[in-house]
Amino acid sequence: MTAAAPEPKANMGQPAPRYDAVAKVTGRATYGSDMPLDNPAYAFLVTSAISKGRINSFGLDDAKRVRGVIDIVTHENAPKLKESKLFSNGGYAGTTIQPLKSADVAHDGQIIAVVVAESYEAAREAANRVKVSYTTVTPSASFDSPGTTKAAAKGQNSQFKEDPKVGDFAKAFDEAEVKLTASYETPTQHHNPMELFSTSCAWMGDDLVIYEPSQYVYGLKNGVAEQLGIDADKVRVVNPYVGGGFGSRGSMTPRTAIIAGIARRLNRPVKLVPTRDQGFTIATYRAETRHEIKLGARRDGKLVALRHEGVEVSSRPDPYCVGGTKTTTRLYACRNVDSLVSIVRADRNTPGFMRSPPEVPYLFALESAMDELAVKLSMDPVELRRVNDTTSEPIAGKPYTSRSLMPCFDEAAKAFGWAQRSVTPKSMSDGDWLIGYGCAATCYPTQMGPSAARIRLQRDGRTRVEIAGHEIGTGAYTIIAQTASERLGVPLEKVSVFIGDSDLPPAPVAGGSNSTASTCSAVMMVCDRVRQRLFKALMPNESLTDKAKETVGIGQTPTTQAAKSDRPLDLEKAFDALGAGVVEEYGEWKPEGAPLDSFKAMHSGHVRLVGGAAMKDKIAYAFGAEFVEVRVNRFTHEIRCPRLVGAFAAGRIMNPRTARSQLMGGLIWGMSSALLEATEIDERTARYVNDNFADYLVPVNADVPGVEVILLSEQDDHINPAGAKGLGELANVGTNAAVCNAIYHATGQRIRKLPVRLENIEV
Amino acid sequence: MSEKPGSRPSGFDRRTFMAGAAGSALVPMTARAAAQDPSSSSRQDPSLPVDVTLRVNGQDKRLSLDARTTVLDALREHLKLTGSKKGCDHGQCGACTVLIGDRRVVSCLTLALAVEGLEITTIEGLATDDHLHPMQQAFVDNDAFQCGYCTPGQIMSAIACVKEGHAGSDADIREYMSGNICRCAAYPNIVAAVKQAAPEIMKG
Repeated sequence: MTAAAPEPKANMGQPAPRYDAVAKVTGRATYGSDMPLDNPAYAFLVTSAISKGRINSFGLDDAKRVRGVIDIVTHENAPKLKESKLFSNGGYAGTTIQPLKSADVAHDGQIIAVVVAESYEAAREAANRVKVSYTTVTPSASFDSPGTTKAAAKGQNSQFKEDPKVGDFAKAFDEAEVKLTASYETPTQHHNPMELFSTSCAWMGDDLVIYEPSQYVYGLKNGVAEQLGIDADKVRVVNPYVGGGFGSRGSMTPRTAIIAGIARRLNRPVKLVPTRDQGFTIATYRAETRHEIKLGARRDGKLVALRHEGVEVSSRPDPYCVGGTKTTTRLYACRNVDSLVSIVRADRNTPGFMRSPPEVPYLFALESAMDELAVKLSMDPVELRRVNDTTSEPIAGKPYTSRSLMPCFDEAAKAFGWAQRSVTPKSMSDGDWLIGYGCAATCYPTQMGPSAARIRLQRDGRTRVEIAGHEIGTGAYTIIAQTASERLGVPLEKVSVFIGDSDLPPAPVAGGSNSTASTCSAVMMVCDRVRQRLFKALMPNESLTDKAKETVGIGQTPTTQAAKSDRPLDLEKAFDALGAGVVEEYGEWKPEGAPLDSFKAMHSGHVRLVGGAAMKDKIAYAFGAEFVEVRVNRFTHEIRCPRLVGAFAAGRIMNPRTARSQLMGGLIWGMSSALLEATEIDERTARYVNDNFADYLVPVNADVPGVEVILLSEQDDHINPAGAKGLGELANVGTNAAVCNAIYHATGQRIRKLPVRLENIEV
Repeated sequence: MSEKPGSRPSGFDRRTFMAGAAGSALVPMTARAAAQDPSSSSRQDPSLPVDVTLRVNGQDKRLSLDARTTVLDALREHLKLTGSKKGCDHGQCGACTVLIGDRRVVSCLTLALAVEGLEITTIEGLATDDHLHPMQQAFVDNDAFQCGYCTPGQIMSAIACVKEGHAGSDADIREYMSGNICRCAAYPNIVAAVKQAAPEIMKG
C-alpha cells in the first residue's frame, strides 16, 4: 500500500482507487469544452475596461471586417433574457448584474459584447478590435473607498438570519481578568479552478444541451430555463467531469443564458472558452473581510466573554455575505457572546462561495486571537483550547452530535512534535532560518440536502447507479460506487456510476461539503429498496424485519457479513421468483429536519441544505487540528512552510485514499491562503490587477515539501444514514491562523493581515 | 533568437518563448515568407487557412489551419484530441503540456505551423492497447490527481522530467514539476508518482 492509500481504521471504507482514475490519466475524461459539437461557432467575450459608468457607443467596423466573423452581440442587439434572483436569496444566479441588458457598467470586466465567428482565432481577433467609448464614473473599490455604503447583514440576506449572542458580553468583558482586542483582515481571493469558465450550448429543435463545468446541474438547468423563458424540461446540463470547482460553479453565471440565446438565434452550437483573466470578473470570488475580536478570560484560560464583528464586501445590488459568526460564536465554551456581521457595498462583481466560505476568513480571526490570548496567559495554545472545549454550543446549549477536537489536537501534536518546541518566540533557528511552530483548530458544519437516486440491478450482479451528483475532484464516482457495492453486496467492479447530467435523478449542489452525506444516504436508501423487492419475491410471507433485510443480502461477496449469515440470497433464484431480469428502483431521500418543500425544491434546482448550527436540537460539525512549521530567513525574510500536519475527524470516512487527498489539498490551500493568494485591486479604478496565473500566486509543487494527514476514527449516528460529515472544506480552515501563529513564534511579530509576504516581516 | 523559423528542432517552451517573444522565431513560416513576397498577396491575410501536416502520436494528420492556430487548439478543435487542456492559454499553468520530440512544451504558446514535421506526443499517445504507460500507472497508484484537469499536462511533464534527469530527488522533482499547476494541490502524490515511475522509464 502506498502512502496515498492509508489503512482503514474503524468506521472507514476501503481505500479503493478512483473509479475515474484511468479515464483521467489517459485523457479520456471529457470536460465541458472537450465535448464534440457539430460545426460550432466560437464565441469570445469583450469585457469592460471600466468599473462604473456607461457605454456611449461601440466601434464595430474594424471588428466586423475580420474574416469569419458571424455576429457581434452587444446590449443593443442581445437576446432578451429574464432576470434571476440571487442564489442565496432563493434564485439561481451568482449575481443579479445581468450584462448586455443596458449600456450600464457595474463592475470591472463585465461582459459588454460577445463576438461570434467561424473560428476561435477570428473571434479573438475581432474581439480585440472592438472599440468602446465610455462615460466613466469614479468607482468605489473596497472598504476605505469613498462612496461605499455599510449595513448589517441581518435583514438583507435571507441566509443570514441572526447575529448570534448570549449572556451579557459587555459586562463580562469589562470584568474579565485578561482581555484581548485585535483586528484582522483577509484579502480578495479567486477560486481559479484549472478548467476555464467555458460553456457550449447546442439546440436540437426546442431542446437545449449545455456542456459546462457546474457544481449544480439542476440549478443551472432551471436557472437557464428561467432566463430563456422556456420549460426546464427542455434544458439538459451535461458535465461528467468538472475541472475543479471550489465554489465557483455552484451558482449560475450570466454567460450561459447569453451563449444559449446566441446559439438559438444562430441555429448553431456556440462554444465559449473565456480567458483566465475573464474568469476573475465573469464569475464570483471570495471577498475581502475585516474582523474585530474581543476575548475576555480568567487567569486559568477559561473564556468569559467573546465578541466577533465581521465586515464583508459585496456588490452594489447583491447582499452576499458568508457570515462566519455562526461558527465562531459556537466553537468554544463561553457564557457571554456577542457578534455582528455587516456588508459594505462597492462597485464590484458579486462575490460568492469559495471553499469553506465562512470559516476561512472568520476562523483566521478567532484562531489568531486564541493564540494571542494564549501568549497573554503564558499558556500552551493547545491547552487553551482544551480548557475551553465543550460538548454543547454556547448560544442555545445544543449538544454537538460528536466532537473530536481535542483528540485531533493530541494526535496532530504528537505527530508534529509539538512537545519539542521551545516556547519563547525567536528561540528556535537553523542557520539563517528562524523556525516557528504554530497551531489552530479547524471545523466545518455537517450539511445535508435532499437527494434522489435510481439504481438498476441485473441478475448477473451488474449495477447501474444514476444520480445527478458532481465529480469535481472529490471522488464522487468512487464513493457512490463503493456505497452501492457495500449495500447491495455486489463486487465494486460490477458497479457503474452515472453522474453530472441533469437528466439523472436530482442531487444537491456540490457545495457546503454535503455531497457525500446526501448522495450516499440516497444511494443507501434506494439499494435497500432493491433488496426489499428481491426479498419479497423470494420470501413473500416473511416480514421485512431488520434481521431479515440484513440476512437476505444479494449476490454477496464472500467477505461481507451477510454472506456469512445463515440465509444467503441466491441472486438468480430471487430474480426467477420475481420473474424479471432487472430490478430498478428510484427513490428520494431527505435529511431529518428538511423543510416541507424539500423534494419540490430539489427538482426545481433550489438548495435546501440543513445541518451545522441550524439543526433543531443538536449541532453537527467536523473538527480537526492543524500544526505548521514555518521558516523565516533572518536576512531576506523569505517565508517557507516545510511541514503541515493535520488530524481530522469527520464521521465515517468513505474512502481513506480520496479523503486523504482532499484533506491534503485542503491543507495546501490553507497555507496558500496565508502566504500566497490575494487578488490586488486598483483603488482608483476598482479593477483587478493580477488576473492571471503568473501574478495571482497559487502553490506550485516546490512550495509544498511535507504534508501529513491523520484520519481519526469517529462514529456519529445522529447526522445522516451514511454517517459522513463531509471533509472537502475542513482542512483549509484555520491553516492561515496556524501559519501566522507559527510566524509569531519564529519572529515575535504578530501578523493580522493576509497574505503574509516577505515585505511584511520586520525581523 | 536569430535562427531561421523552423530551425529549432523541438519547438518552444515557456522560457525560450519569453526570451524570444520579440524575435522572429514564432512567426509562422508561411505568413513570414508571404510577407517577404509581395506577389503572393493572398497569403498576407493570416486568417486564410494554411495547409499543414502534423505528426501526432505517430500518425500524420493533414490539416487546413488559420495560421494563428496553436498546437493546443489544433489538437483540441481540429483533431478532436481533447486530452491536452486549456487552463490559461498563456503558458502559465502547464495543463496543455505535450512532448515535441523529447521536450516538454506548452502547446498553447506554440503555433501549429511551427512544428510541422516534428513528433508530437499527447496524453492519448501514451497507453498501448490496454497497458498504461508507467507514469500513468504511477499517477493512478499514488492518487496523484483529484479533478484531473491538469493531469494530462502533469503526466507529459513528468515523463520529460524523468528523461531530463531531473527526478533524482524529491526536491528536484518538486522543482522541475513546478511549471504545472495543480489547483487541487495533489503535489505530494505527484512527487510520489514520479518517483515510482522514474526507474521503469529510465530502464526502457
